[in-house]
Amino acid sequence: MRTRTVQFYDVHFSKTDVKVNERFELTGKFRLMEDWPDAVTPPDIVFVSSVSPGPTIARVETYLNGEPARQSFAKLELGRDYDFRMVLEGRTSGSSHIHPSISIKGSGPLVGPGQWINISGDAHSFAFPIKTMTGLQIDDLQTFGLTNAIGWHVAWLAVAAAWLLFWLVRPLFLPRWLVLQKGREDLLVSLRDTGVGIIVAAIVLVMVFGGYVRANQEYPYNVPLQSGLNKVAPRPASPADAEVKVISATYDVPGRSMRLATRITNKGSEPLSIGELTTANIRFLNQGLPAAIANVDPTYPRDLVARTGLELSSDTPINPGETREVLVEATDAVWELERLVSFLTDVDSKFGGLLLLYTPNGKRVIAEMGGPIVPVFTELK
Amino acid sequence: MTSITDIDAVAIPKRKAGPKGETVISVSGLTPGAARYSRMFDFLVVAAVVPLFAGAFHLHVMLTVGDWDMYVDWKDRQYWPLVTPISMIMFPAALQAIFWVNFRLPIGATVGATVLLITTWLGRYANWWIWTGFPFTEGVPSQVIAGALLMDMALIVLRNSLFTSIFAGFAFGFVFWPSNYSALAPFYLPVEHQGMVASLADMIGYTFPRSNMPEYLRIIERGTLRTFGSSVSWVSAAFAGFICIFMHQLWWQLGRFASQTTFLKNGDVVKSFMGMKSRPAS
Repeated sequence: MRTRTVQFYDVHFSKTDVKVNERFELTGKFRLMEDWPDAVTPPDIVFVSSVSPGPTIARVETYLNGEPARQSFAKLELGRDYDFRMVLEGRTSGSSHIHPSISIKGSGPLVGPGQWINISGDAHSFAFPIKTMTGLQIDDLQTFGLTNAIGWHVAWLAVAAAWLLFWLVRPLFLPRWLVLQKGREDLLVSLRDTGVGIIVAAIVLVMVFGGYVRANQEYPYNVPLQSGLNKVAPRPASPADAEVKVISATYDVPGRSMRLATRITNKGSEPLSIGELTTANIRFLNQGLPAAIANVDPTYPRDLVARTGLELSSDTPINPGETREVLVEATDAVWELERLVSFLTDVDSKFGGLLLLYTPNGKRVIAEMGGPIVPVFTELK
Repeated sequence: MTSITDIDAVAIPKRKAGPKGETVISVSGLTPGAARYSRMFDFLVVAAVVPLFAGAFHLHVMLTVGDWDMYVDWKDRQYWPLVTPISMIMFPAALQAIFWVNFRLPIGATVGATVLLITTWLGRYANWWIWTGFPFTEGVPSQVIAGALLMDMALIVLRNSLFTSIFAGFAFGFVFWPSNYSALAPFYLPVEHQGMVASLADMIGYTFPRSNMPEYLRIIERGTLRTFGSSVSWVSAAFAGFICIFMHQLWWQLGRFASQTTFLKNGDVVKSFMGMKSRPAS
């Protein structure tokens, strides 16, 4: 399923070691696959976020294609690319595994490649200052307003405690029950009690509405919680310089190897070499192509880059206008480790991915591919 | 020899007797020893019942109100003042019935609301701050003590569950918004963030990320009550009050039903099985 939904690429962490209160950026791009699975709700409402083990980081700013991403987006387009940028800040000391993620309403979060971020320093020194539109400078968003809220809650608890004590000092359950059975309610609740009740009710009403009026006077320019969906256009579509058709695909279960028979057409003006197969954050590189190796960011998690790389039946560049059938083989235990072989048990045994091709000058061409895949349960390589 | 008056003086040190010199203890008919044990029984009941009510009510609120009560950026003008009191009136109404019907104690609603607020803050401290590290500002809870006090006061004045439902049930729902706004008003101050307006509550929820709670999951006002201008919260408060009338009466009856003591008469088969009656000859 993950191979046919969101393909992250060019993911970059600006730093992997930060101090508390130090900012770093998480940037990258993603492709929403054209062959979107029926079982996953389409990206009609999407939120760009980061995944972390609790609020070990603070989120400062987020962008999708340059648009502010504090709120959710409506109707992202399948088959198109988007780029994201997140400004994050170290908050809790320790190592945190941080991922970019695309949350889709109805489907849940689809996470990108994660990286360990080491946050050093004293977590208690973290503060998040902010200035309101009314000119109020807030020293720390973590504590602002807390004294007022706790003060009110303590005040309410005090009134409640007074009322409870007024009754709890008297004989309670057994004597009162016996007296009630004897029809002597007059001894249990007196006129004086009723009078005290009326006074407490008056105090409560004064606190409720007096407090409300006072709050409105103190904060006259308050705004409601902000909601609503933003819209964003996808990245400009790059010319389809390469077309990849999967003729057949098999997955060798004991050999943990995906074998693809592909028909690749070069529709561009420069020769193209196959550099990489990437799907669901794992990357199989053509280790004989320097441009493909150079495309791996130093901060990209190493456990998601297959050691064995990509094996090709033909390694020579595909010339402009040429159509060539190439056998592509991606073998690694990472298929199993990343739980990407669910097509063995899916109702629709299909896969998807991006094939990255390079011109001699290192220009990258991204081609989406996918289709049915047949598991081979007994063949050993 | 200790007299009944002496025992009463210990149990109610500053309370005067009635016009005929009658007190609760004297009319109850308890012997001095029994009166002493009844006071001990009071303490035992309170010690057992408070944690029980606190846990049960807190769990109930977590399950039925959930995120609206947990997070400051869920406390909107439309759904929060509607959903929260409708759910939070259930336990106080049931407790009110139990305490009033059986003991004529007008404290049930206040007991429920008080133990809930204390337990909720304990939960915020333990679960949200110590365990997961979220700032307190993100998890400021709601309180319903104001509404609960009004319910108990109405009961002692009206002494009738139906009228209490009509007037105090409504009041419970209606005052939820203003009584909580005083505590939460600072969180609605406006800030500019990335060229857009946000409330501080929005900013708190955004800044300290909850990985599995994307923004769209918030069930908050989306502007559909715009017809009422900026009075959205009062419309919700009034509607919450209306629904609370029925919720109060429903849960009052449930509480009353659940606190009944009944005995089932054993049949002959059970009696013979227990050896209380000889087996009938076959």
